[in-house]
Amino acid sequence: MTDEPGLSAREMLDRLDTTLSRGTRIRAVAALLAGLAGAVFVTSLWWSEPGPLPDRTHLSFTLLTVFCLAWAGYGGWLLTRRVPLFATEQVVAAGIALAASVGTTGITVVAAARSGTGPGPALAVGGLFIAAAATLAVRARARRAALLRRMRQLTRQEGP
Amino acid sequence: MTDELLVVRAQLGDRTALAEMVARWRVPVWRYVQRMLDADRADDVSQEIWLAVVRGLPRLREPTRFAPWLFAIARRSVVDRLRTEYAAAPETPVRDDRCVEDLSETVVARAELVGALTSLPVLEREILVLHYLEDLSVQDCAHICRVPVGTVKSRLNRARRLLREHLSEKGYQS
Repeated sequence: MTDEPGLSAREMLDRLDTTLSRGTRIRAVAALLAGLAGAVFVTSLWWSEPGPLPDRTHLSFTLLTVFCLAWAGYGGWLLTRRVPLFATEQVVAAGIALAASVGTTGITVVAAARSGTGPGPALAVGGLFIAAAATLAVRARARRAALLRRMRQLTRQEGP
Repeated sequence: MTDELLVVRAQLGDRTALAEMVARWRVPVWRYVQRMLDADRADDVSQEIWLAVVRGLPRLREPTRFAPWLFAIARRSVVDRLRTEYAAAPETPVRDDRCVEDLSETVVARAELVGALTSLPVLEREILVLHYLEDLSVQDCAHICRVPVGTVKSRLNRARRLLREHLSEKGYQS
């Protein structure tokens, strides 16, 4: 009977490489953010459309929103189940999410104002996303700071 | 470097720490899987375990409890593998007329050939491997197996007794 693993540590890490690759994580974050931004944008446009809309237009907006949410769901699933985001990367991802939320909200509010309807719905939906992204950013920073503190403590304890 | 420092650095995204963690724990994890299954399946299952470890590492809240957390993942992967094979078992011909009542009996029936340790039922074998071979405390074993500490102690007692009986049958004297 063999008493040694068939895979060396290097080979094991090579097999984990796809999960740990930067490209996979960037794709996951991009899918989540693009999906959410698209959903906010389409929903705000839908709400701010003046006058009663034909059924076909409602159907189009619904399909577009579902499509965006599906991408967001896929990105979220990748990030929570398939791809690890370590503390430093969580800070970066939360920063990108905050910037994307602010940008999307700004564009949506301007578009709503130009179309003659009030910016209220766009501000309300966008505000929710900005608040969620800001909360994630604060939590990610706090978590990273706590890990850095602990790392310094342990390094000091172990000595040179 | 302690395990805790290694885990904290890996959680911050340090690839060197992650590589060192894999290098340090690769053999203990593989050995556990090999003793619970066999060497042929140990490489495959170990890879699944490390994939789950890497995916779950950012969510580990207590880096000091890395070893129990790691072995809990390993245990889950082993149980999943056994469950899959157990589900497929009715399609393979059985070697005797004995009524197989549960998973542990199936595993014991398959592992009878391998030696003293593998002659034990899977629950008792698992506790022996974790406690004596991987040096984990009774509390950690309880956490990994999701049973009370008292159950771990009674399984340890039973495992020691079964092992003693098995070795006596083979002619060994304590």
